[in-house]
Amino acid sequence: MLRPCERNPAILARVGLEIDHVTKRFGATIALDGLTFDVPPGEVFGFLGANGAGKTTTMRICLGIVAPDAGQIRWNGLPVGDLPRRTWGYLPEERGLYPRMTVLDQLVYYASLYGRPPDRARREALAWLSRFRIPDYADRRAEELSKGNQQKVQFIAAILHDPDVLLMDEPFTGLDPINLVLLREAFMELRDRGRTLIFSTHQMEAAEAMCESVAIVDYGRLVAGGRLRDLKRASGRQWIRLALDGPSPAPDWLADLRGVDAVRRNATGTELELQPGGQPAAILAEILARGATVAEFAVVEPSLEALFIELVGRPAEDDVVMLPASASASGPAPGSAAAGRA
Amino acid sequence: MARRDPLLPNAAIIARREYRDRVRGPLYVASTIVLMALALLVAMSPIGIRYFDRQAVTHIAVVSTDPDLALQAVAVTDSLLNVAPPGTDRTKWEKAFAIDNVADGAAAERDLARGRLAGILKVERLPTNQLDIVFRTSGPPDGVRSQLVGFAAIAVGILDWTAGLPPDAQLGAFQTPAFRIEPINTPTDNGRALDPQETASRAFLGIVFVVLLFMTVVIYGMWVATGVAAEKSSRVMELMISAASPRQMLAGKVVGIGAAGLTQYLAIVLPALAVLAFQDRIAEAILGPDWAAGAPIVGLTPALLLGYGAFFLLGFSLFALIYAAMGSFVSRPDDLQTLSLPFSLLAVVGYISAIGALGGGAGPWITVASFLPPFSPFVMLARLMVAAVQPWELALSIALLVAAIAVVAVIAARMYAAGVLLYGQRPGLRAFVAAARRAG
Repeated sequence: MLRPCERNPAILARVGLEIDHVTKRFGATIALDGLTFDVPPGEVFGFLGANGAGKTTTMRICLGIVAPDAGQIRWNGLPVGDLPRRTWGYLPEERGLYPRMTVLDQLVYYASLYGRPPDRARREALAWLSRFRIPDYADRRAEELSKGNQQKVQFIAAILHDPDVLLMDEPFTGLDPINLVLLREAFMELRDRGRTLIFSTHQMEAAEAMCESVAIVDYGRLVAGGRLRDLKRASGRQWIRLALDGPSPAPDWLADLRGVDAVRRNATGTELELQPGGQPAAILAEILARGATVAEFAVVEPSLEALFIELVGRPAEDDVVMLPASASASGPAPGSAAAGRA
Repeated sequence: MARRDPLLPNAAIIARREYRDRVRGPLYVASTIVLMALALLVAMSPIGIRYFDRQAVTHIAVVSTDPDLALQAVAVTDSLLNVAPPGTDRTKWEKAFAIDNVADGAAAERDLARGRLAGILKVERLPTNQLDIVFRTSGPPDGVRSQLVGFAAIAVGILDWTAGLPPDAQLGAFQTPAFRIEPINTPTDNGRALDPQETASRAFLGIVFVVLLFMTVVIYGMWVATGVAAEKSSRVMELMISAASPRQMLAGKVVGIGAAGLTQYLAIVLPALAVLAFQDRIAEAILGPDWAAGAPIVGLTPALLLGYGAFFLLGFSLFALIYAAMGSFVSRPDDLQTLSLPFSLLAVVGYISAIGALGGGAGPWITVASFLPPFSPFVMLARLMVAAVQPWELALSIALLVAAIAVVAVIAARMYAAGVLLYGQRPGLRAFVAAARRAG
């Protein structure tokens, strides 16, 4: 994986987050198995993997909640145990607020725990509530809010103390499209202010839209990591994005086309994975010869979702079956850690 | 790797939130008012009982076929049951018992059955010239009244026996002997042994204190456990564990909820103590000086209050730490009852031992339990109330309790750190120990 400091001399002094051969066992189960990758500072970083891949454990080790059995995690060269708690902001996967406490009191409370003066926290909390279009909810009890609004409040709680690094576990779950846009805008603003945002998600489209770099983990090991653009290029596969006029879903005969390895249908259309040496022009000709009307035909790099399936061998929605320590040495950890830090 | 955060200021911030969350709750306010009223009622109860006693005269009938024997029995029983408190003006003092000679035994039995009579003293002479005295009573057979009537029976026997002396025998008038008990294990106040009346009052107050201590330790301790469990079930814990360390959370919860408990306790106890402290004056105002002289003496001293406060704080701290560790191990508050039962039973054992000590028990177990945490807060408090406790014994008991709290705090913090991350697992001892190991 290319280090950002090797490309950008302006941030040479900041080496970002280093996950350095971290291993963690829970009894007989290996949660992390020598996990190694870097997160460039000042970026939005996607931490991708199925449930049970080790993402939450990695985040908890970053936060000092769980101690690793081996390895180290550093932020800008310092072990995370030596850093103040306010370095981190954390949006856990499980959402929860004190039900009877008002939104504003709750936000000031969390910020105070991170050392933010209450007056300042109150001011900034109100500004963020306005930004997320819920200023009237400041004095309401959390239990009166919808789940989506509770999630926005919890996001504000995670960032109100202005952390250097924001760790988020599935931040987009349960958000409607409008709130999703609001959250993405907040991500970009924080990134522009030099903050590092790391999030895990199953929503590959969201990760692809926001992340400059990603790490893909499976069974506690790095499968691939680095600049998303580089990962796509490195895959060496071409895809065709195809949209046909007429009844959906796309016809089954697409899988029988010469030069097509796989067909993947999603909400926006169909993707055809080309075999090595497959000719897009020949494929287009065959589609037209079958009488189909083509609305869109584009040769593209693989999507992040396709890349994930190619590298991990299954979609991110499929849970990892946790392996006992004795089985992990020969276990099905797929892919290669070659893209990780040497 | 492990970050060592200082307790402050986060523990104080958490404690403040916990305190406010509880004292602002409508249930807290309502329960405080109800309990305050109940405590005042209990504190006023001795005066109240005395007040109603003053209004009611207890009737006892003497039944005998021998008129002389009947008159003797009436006189002796009257002299034993109607003893005016020292310093009372006998002309104004009203007797609490009316002892009457009743000729119709069957009518007396009917009155006893209907509750108009508290007892019938049946005095008859057997063919062997021996007196046969029976006290039929609706009260307890070993109560003070029954014991005094027993004394009266012996006195009637003696009088009857002396009546058979030769006419020229020189005997003075019969006087009821003065009788008092001098127990060797009595509580002291600044080195002065308390008199029996004060000791009895101390025993009464001791029961009040021990019951209050048990209730507060268990109830407020469970507040801590349910508070932790609620944070887990509402998933607030997920956010909290990144903002504060387990030590800070544990300390904040115990202090905050303990302070809320202490506030409620003070709101309940202070008015009641004020009543007890000024009981003499209140009794005099309500009952008048003659009856007030007979009202119970409280025997409450600042040293005892201090002792109670110390054992309350130490006992609560110990149990709250245990309950917090319990709370961290359940995913739902409903599971708490099962997991906390063995630890609540420890408090019950302490409570029962303390009640035994207040009832005069002074066996080896009472002595051991008064030093042994977690029983010592209850049992040593009971011993302080009704028995002679050496200063070194008190110091040792408190020192052992403080040491136990320190050890439990370390273990509880480890368990808390492990427990708060456990979800969806059934709470059990094995999971408890395994998680505590993992936390290390």
